[in-house]
Amino acid sequence: MSGAKHSALQPPIPRISLTWLLVAQALVILPHIGHLPLWVLAMWLFCAGWRVQIFRMRAGYPNAWAKAGLMLAAGAGVLLSRGSLIGLDAGVVLLIAAFVLKLVELRTQRDALVLIFLGFFCVVTAYLFDDSLSAAAFSALPISALLAALIGLQQSHLAMRPWPTLRLALVMLAQALPLMLLLFVFFPRLAPLWSLPNPSNQARTGLSDSMTPADIAELSKSAELVFRATFDGPLPARNQLYWRALTFEQFDGRRWSQASVGQLLAPPSLRKSGQSLSYSIIMQPSGQNWLFALDVAQSSAPDIQQMSDFSLQRKLPVEQTLQYAVNSWPTALRAPDALSASLAHDLQLPAGGDPRSRAWAAELRALYPSNAALVQQVLTHFNREPFGYTLKPPPVGIDSIDEFLFRTRRGFCAHYAGAMTFVLRAAGIPARVVAGYQGGELNPAGRFLTVRQFDAHAWVEYWQAGQGWISADPTFQVAPERIEQGLEQAVSAEQSFLADSPLSLLRYRNIGWLNTVRQGWDNLNYGWQRWVLGYQGEQQLQLLQRWFGRMDSQLLLLALVGGGGLLLGALALFLFKPWRREQDPRLRQFLRFQGLLARHGVQRRPVEGPRAFALRAAVELPAQSAAIQHFAAAFEAQQYALSHSDPAALRRALATLRRALPWRLSRS
Amino acid sequence: MIFAAKLKPRWNRWLVKRIPPAASVLLNQRRIFIIPSRTGAAFAVVLLLMLLAAINYQNSLAYSLTFLLTSLFIVAILHTYRNLAGLTVKAVGASPVFVGEHGGFRLQLLSGNRGHQAIALGWTASDLQVLDVAAADVSDCELRLLATQRGWLRPGRLRVESRFPLGVLVSWSWLDLDQALLVYPRPIAADLPAHAGGGADEEEDGVRIRGQGSDDFQGLRSYQPGDSKKRLHWKAYSRGQGLLVKDFAALAGRDIWLDFNQLGGDLETRLSQLCHWVLQLSASQQPFGLRLPGLELPVATGVAQRDACLRALALFGSPA
Repeated sequence: MSGAKHSALQPPIPRISLTWLLVAQALVILPHIGHLPLWVLAMWLFCAGWRVQIFRMRAGYPNAWAKAGLMLAAGAGVLLSRGSLIGLDAGVVLLIAAFVLKLVELRTQRDALVLIFLGFFCVVTAYLFDDSLSAAAFSALPISALLAALIGLQQSHLAMRPWPTLRLALVMLAQALPLMLLLFVFFPRLAPLWSLPNPSNQARTGLSDSMTPADIAELSKSAELVFRATFDGPLPARNQLYWRALTFEQFDGRRWSQASVGQLLAPPSLRKSGQSLSYSIIMQPSGQNWLFALDVAQSSAPDIQQMSDFSLQRKLPVEQTLQYAVNSWPTALRAPDALSASLAHDLQLPAGGDPRSRAWAAELRALYPSNAALVQQVLTHFNREPFGYTLKPPPVGIDSIDEFLFRTRRGFCAHYAGAMTFVLRAAGIPARVVAGYQGGELNPAGRFLTVRQFDAHAWVEYWQAGQGWISADPTFQVAPERIEQGLEQAVSAEQSFLADSPLSLLRYRNIGWLNTVRQGWDNLNYGWQRWVLGYQGEQQLQLLQRWFGRMDSQLLLLALVGGGGLLLGALALFLFKPWRREQDPRLRQFLRFQGLLARHGVQRRPVEGPRAFALRAAVELPAQSAAIQHFAAAFEAQQYALSHSDPAALRRALATLRRALPWRLSRS
Repeated sequence: MIFAAKLKPRWNRWLVKRIPPAASVLLNQRRIFIIPSRTGAAFAVVLLLMLLAAINYQNSLAYSLTFLLTSLFIVAILHTYRNLAGLTVKAVGASPVFVGEHGGFRLQLLSGNRGHQAIALGWTASDLQVLDVAAADVSDCELRLLATQRGWLRPGRLRVESRFPLGVLVSWSWLDLDQALLVYPRPIAADLPAHAGGGADEEEDGVRIRGQGSDDFQGLRSYQPGDSKKRLHWKAYSRGQGLLVKDFAALAGRDIWLDFNQLGGDLETRLSQLCHWVLQLSASQQPFGLRLPGLELPVATGVAQRDACLRALALFGSPA
């Protein structure tokens, strides 16, 4: 089909539709800006400018060569900036590039349809990158604009104003909402049919599989959300909230890192005792495998495994918001009967360096033959000697442990945990650094804990025959307020809490109403995560079982068909208002009379009565004055006098008038 | 195709029963059909892709948007139907035309309490005229159809269609408004047969008859279908005075009979020539009579005579 024939068959795009299409495109692209290369935005501005010039007849459509050139350039751009053409990131950039390029060859209604459908798809991809409450709320804008463009496409060229179109779009959206909620609740959630590439958020903050003190210091500057936890029973005390993520068992003199995966896969041995805690956690995507839980945690989820260091790990990295339920036994014994061979790597130390620390360890070993006494002595040492807690520690040299323990004596959790583990190992006690988060903020309205990056913490656990692994926190000895109240209180003297983010609402927790607003918003987001984002297979099953006592395909079908039918019926009643069908037929004839005269240039004024209107019309249209007067008299007689209602007579009078008036097409 | 051809008469019979011919039809649930359009099918494919993305990414918001658009599709059924329902389509009439011209069928769309947007009307599904009707209002339109043969032109069923608001569904109806339009033969210029005069061969006081004669220039008059193109006054046309014809007068007898049997050529040519002369003589207020096989219209003059003759010519040979 040639281009000319194509455009002759397909009607052009109405102006209203084009207007809304341009608006929608801006709104669709806006949430993507964060992960789009700059050249796509430049291309978009260029194409939008070109399209506007085409509309103003100052430029032509691109020819086949120009189109091919633009497409190749876009493909090459994606390849250069993303390194490949496959994968979600590259895919989204390609999708948006296509969405932008389609603009310049937007000729016919079919092109506009393609653009609108592409737009809806771009909105879906934006959800993969950000599914927060605010992102969802924002997406109502591009959806409405795309819908307005779709409606505008169907309007005749007589419609000139864009707002009624948007209004209709909003009305239809509102009418579709109940049906959408029904589908959302009852449509069965399937397991993924195949795995797709996930968005790679390169700039993610969080714990990593190795640690230097500087890493933790970096985390303490961030107020980013890590996870939220809801407890089924009462909340444990704050100083019990040690959220384990992973352990560091290898030390190279500066950096602590995780043991190899092979070591971690060994089945852990656990002696459960006492009461268990039951809670659920919704964590933000971390890009890592480990999950967060209080000691000693187990999860019944099939893809979550307990590792030999008692951390929980998932088979696949957490690339999307994840909800999981956990049970923890705080008093359980961890590997009380471990073999010394399996503990060998918890005694590993670098071949040389830090001689004073090693000497001090040997000294302690000589003084305290019992492991417990030795550990207690180290903790007491931190408590008694002038150690300080600061987020701005002075720099240390080659022998970092020596310098910290005997010279600077100022640092934060990572310094203390690293130094203590070093000393215990040097004294022959198996020990390791545990990394995770400590504490969390209680939201009083929602009764849940919010843990943020600045709650990152490192502590120590050492192994004692018969008792297994025992946790110890040297930071508590130095700055108990860090554990009992939080980081903000621990560093209040040096004013370093979130010093780099002056706008963070968390800095203003002391302002009462602001804090209430912040916590309310936080609560809303948490509800959003739990009830909307987390509404997948398991949650759907639980909810429906709670509501109906059962959950099977029959129930789902019944709810979808029955509920959908009811909703549609209600909407039909609302739309057609059958009880109003018998609206006064005389009035309807009068409205027609009014419309007919309006088309011949006589508009009824707002407060003009039927008689005055008819008199004026008769003066303005003298040739038809008799017919006009006749209708008006008949209408008045029927409407206001006690005359018998006879709409047919009115209709006849109107027909006479219409014949008397010159033939005129409705809108010429 | 064969299947469709077999189905067509059955469909038509069913349609006649369901929507019988009437000059004015109110569109209601009995007369409106609705199905997803091709756009709707494309939309469904997009929805399916979005659902797959939602399932594979386990993304609740993607699910929500898919469900929202699905719901819109369903809600659009009511809206698309509503845009057509309550509309009354009325045939207002049509003026006769000559073969080769476009006949205009005048229609009125009357709305009830609701306005109707982008209502498409036409004789075939591919060629539709679009118009809006405001609430409690009337919109007029004229649908044109080429007249290819003389006699009654019956346009067949009228398609009334609406895809508003989303275009994903199409609601339509095929209405028979019982419309018909008289098509006169195409006027073809020819000489008046020599003995068209009243039979008397003596040249008594002949009257000047205007028209095709070439004897005396009478002046200019406006163009009528059937006038010879040779007599068009092109200079006046180029001055923007419209199509004018140079009028000449010829001498002829008193009573003129236009007689079918006096003419040569096939049936249609003869009718066309008679048609031409009916127009010419009527324009010049000349009394004339018309003789067709089996029919004779007495000598008369005026518009009534003209219309009666043209009607006789148009319907000649057709039953009733």
